[in-house]
Amino acid sequence: MSTPLTRPGATAVDSTDRSVDDATDRAAQPGGPQPVASVQDLTVTLHARDGAVRALRGVTLDIAPGEIVALVGESGSGKSVLGSSLLGLLPDSARPEVTGRVTVMGHDMVGSSDKELRRVRKHLLGAVFQDPLTSLNPPLRIGRQLVERTDGTPRALRLLTEAGVPDPERRVRQFPHQLSGGLRQRVMIAMALGGDGRLGATPDGLPADAAIDVAHDDDGAPRLVIADEPTTALDVSVQAQIVLLFDRIRREHGCAVLLVTHDLGVAASIADRIAVLYAGRICELGPAADVLARPSHPYTRALLAARLAMDGSRSVGNPLPGDPPNPMRPLPGCAFAPRCASATDACTEAAPSLDTRPDGRGVVACFHRNRDIDETVTERAPARAVVTTAAPDAPHALVLDRVSKSFPGPGSGRLRLAHLQLKVVNEVSLTVPAQGALALVGESGCGKTTTLRMAAGLSKPNAGSVAWAEGAAPPQLIFQDASTSLTPWMTVVAQVEERFRQRGVPRGERRDRAFDMLTRVGLDQRAGRARPRELSGGQRQRAVIARALASGPSLLICDEPVSALDASLVVRVLDLLEELREQLGVALMVVTHDLSAARRIAETVAVMYLGRIVEQAPADQLFAEPLHPYTRGLIAANPTTEPGRLAPTLTGEPPSLHAEIVGCPFAARCPLVVDRCRVESPALRDLPSGRQLSCHVVEPPAHGGRLS
Amino acid sequence: MTRQLFGRLAGLLGVLAALTLAVFVIKAVLPADPVRASIGARATEAQVKAKRAELGYDKPIVVQYVTFVGDVVTLDLGDSLRTRRPVTTDIGKFLPATAELALAAAVLAGIGGVGLGIVSARGGKLASITRLAMLAFASAPTFCLALLAILLFYRRLGWLPSSGRITRSLAPPERTRFVLVDTLLAGDLKAFWDAVEHLVLPALCLAIGPAVAIGRVLRGSLLDVLRQDHTRTARSKGLSRRAVLTRHALRNALGPTLSMTGLQLGLLLSGVVVVELVFAWPGLGLYTTQAIQNADFPAVIGIVLVMGTAYVVINAIVDIAQVIADPRLQTSEAR
Repeated sequence: MSTPLTRPGATAVDSTDRSVDDATDRAAQPGGPQPVASVQDLTVTLHARDGAVRALRGVTLDIAPGEIVALVGESGSGKSVLGSSLLGLLPDSARPEVTGRVTVMGHDMVGSSDKELRRVRKHLLGAVFQDPLTSLNPPLRIGRQLVERTDGTPRALRLLTEAGVPDPERRVRQFPHQLSGGLRQRVMIAMALGGDGRLGATPDGLPADAAIDVAHDDDGAPRLVIADEPTTALDVSVQAQIVLLFDRIRREHGCAVLLVTHDLGVAASIADRIAVLYAGRICELGPAADVLARPSHPYTRALLAARLAMDGSRSVGNPLPGDPPNPMRPLPGCAFAPRCASATDACTEAAPSLDTRPDGRGVVACFHRNRDIDETVTERAPARAVVTTAAPDAPHALVLDRVSKSFPGPGSGRLRLAHLQLKVVNEVSLTVPAQGALALVGESGCGKTTTLRMAAGLSKPNAGSVAWAEGAAPPQLIFQDASTSLTPWMTVVAQVEERFRQRGVPRGERRDRAFDMLTRVGLDQRAGRARPRELSGGQRQRAVIARALASGPSLLICDEPVSALDASLVVRVLDLLEELREQLGVALMVVTHDLSAARRIAETVAVMYLGRIVEQAPADQLFAEPLHPYTRGLIAANPTTEPGRLAPTLTGEPPSLHAEIVGCPFAARCPLVVDRCRVESPALRDLPSGRQLSCHVVEPPAHGGRLS
Repeated sequence: MTRQLFGRLAGLLGVLAALTLAVFVIKAVLPADPVRASIGARATEAQVKAKRAELGYDKPIVVQYVTFVGDVVTLDLGDSLRTRRPVTTDIGKFLPATAELALAAAVLAGIGGVGLGIVSARGGKLASITRLAMLAFASAPTFCLALLAILLFYRRLGWLPSSGRITRSLAPPERTRFVLVDTLLAGDLKAFWDAVEHLVLPALCLAIGPAVAIGRVLRGSLLDVLRQDHTRTARSKGLSRRAVLTRHALRNALGPTLSMTGLQLGLLLSGVVVVELVFAWPGLGLYTTQAIQNADFPAVIGIVLVMGTAYVVINAIVDIAQVIADPRLQTSEAR
């Protein structure tokens, strides 16, 4: 215990030596146990085609054993780069320049040899990434991919069970594409847990780190799991399940988690500490409860205010002003100054350093940290009410009358020649009034995208009819990912112009009208002359909207229009759509799994489950008093910024369409299920309040739509 | 999987049917008269008429086609006008030599292509050199490579023979007509080695083009795969770069590579003609050259059918290999 501190830069230390160092380190540090990971003054510069990206500009962060640290920031803030640095996996192709120190259990993750880094990754670290479909190798069976990590099938099966994968023996023989998104992410988590927390063995076979093993079971577990947006690609109900799983892993294995996320709600539910990253620097860091209750950096406050929440009477959400920082040209002063209401000259001259927060808990980098907090928090504007209403007399923009769509399922029978028809959409009726706004919500796989395709005329229903407003141009589509729905080699204005040409607008007027349309969506001439890749994500989504509107549709159909956007941009794009509805009289149909976005924009919300509408109601009523147990579950699963609130989850996942469904499709997950539900499918009935509901159990409120 | 197999087989039969039709139409519209070609220009009108009736050319065209298909199915392609032997006998005689050469070249092209692809995808100096060499070889025409190879390895270095399948004095008794197999069956290792030496140069000349093409496609798709998310996952598990490349990336890069392999093996069949000429390889290529020069229709038709079948079969195998390589191409099973 009298040995001096670990030498700085110590790398491949002899393993017997290391256990001593670890023990002394913990004893030597006054603030608690030795951190599992330590980042000191880390700067990372990556080289892209058009210049150097200053991804991280001096980040210092320690992660204690068993601690969950949420790293919150928008895209481009450098949060994923920090995760990659901890894994020692900065992309070679970007020729990273690194200064500062990154250590995991005392092992240098910057300068070490490839072999040493690999050992640390294998034994001490685990990683979970955003998209579980692309993160698993498609042509390899789940089992094979797991075993590479766990060194043995029995352990792989144990880990799958632990990660909540039912029937692991069957799953290991399957390929990634045969699993649902939630299951895939559970497989990724099982894989991440495959480390054993011990670095190698001494020559006589004794595990070197046995002396300092804390709460690890026999199999061991990684010391740190780096989870990079692990729930972003998932539905809310699955997201809540995965968040719970991380919490459990931490408690049962004692492994620390670095949770990289853009969603303060996810951070709030399980993080011990929150680090807010902006333009490559930590701007606020402290215990989750304190940071959320008393955010002291203007950016943290703005992020909280921009968040579309489900709690409270209405969706609130205050768009962040200004543009995200440019990582190629960092500002000399505080990076947030151009968007900050409290910025003074001092802010633009020098960057503030991290200093104790006003409440003494954690640190913040702001010259005005002692300013009265209330002043800025109360700037939160009242929620934008949906003011536009549907035009009652005009013909409906869209009428879907009992449309159904089936696809042939996998072959069955001995030669797999027989086909089961999978009924993906089952007698769905929807109406979007002229200038109205309808949101169709549901989990992935519920048939909402198929419904959207039929509504847009991209595919024909097997039964039922689709009607648009007479004489109007066909509906226009807006997709989730604006970067892939724009033609990369054409300027934005040319793409808008093309639509005017199709409508027969004379050549001389086209360009002016295209620029007019771009101005309407908030893009200036410079942005109009740019090619898509020169624009930011928010600007691209605006360009897509302008292009769609140039066709003069009476209905815009949006498929997850804000899911790929940062929180600060979501509100602005939704407000833009709302504004355009008002100004141009265009109706909206928004298909989304994001309930808060639906709440923000829609007049009417229809909830879809396994190809059927289970509830439909005016947005206000639906969110104030959800009737269907599924709707209730979805709303409850939405994360809030209440620290430590683990959202109650809908158990399980939707049943497979491949099996014949008898009774109510939701019965298997329903908390209110009665015998009748399992034999008889409830019809969608009209309630006196003008709502629609498909449930045997829930009784509609007797009065005008309010439950007492 | 079974369903796809059946689908491929049905497609294969369809293509073969179309092939017989194409060959038949070509035969029917060509200005050269097979009857005249068969009995000579000085035959009398009566002789021509008799021969015409004998060969069935006086019947309606549809009947002729049906007869033709029947003949093809029963492997009766008539007699070669030049050798006066049944075409099937001739083909049976020359095909093994060509098959041996093409198979050897295909194996070399496959191994070489995968090797070139991996080496050039790994980066570093070796990769640059490999890429340069690939470009040089890919731009040289086969006959040019063949002549250069003879000049260097036969004339200059004297390491390898320049023509034929085997030194005549060592020729084994004919059993399978595959010299490599026959020498082994005869237990004559010296002759076997001699045959290998004869095979090396022509097979290499045939293989280089396809190998480079396969290597380039493999490199491209490997680099593409290495940029994908699951590569990062594999690295985060602590796998080495080599393991990521061979165990994870290669499998994913196989799809486009297999497509290219199918195309190249098809082209290799046409390359055989040139290479057999240069190396005096007594195979179908030489037979083809002579058949064309002599307007030997039955022989040409037989060759076209054999080559066409080979081409279709190769591509069917490639399609099936692709389904095996990428499970997503199989119809999805129940979740």
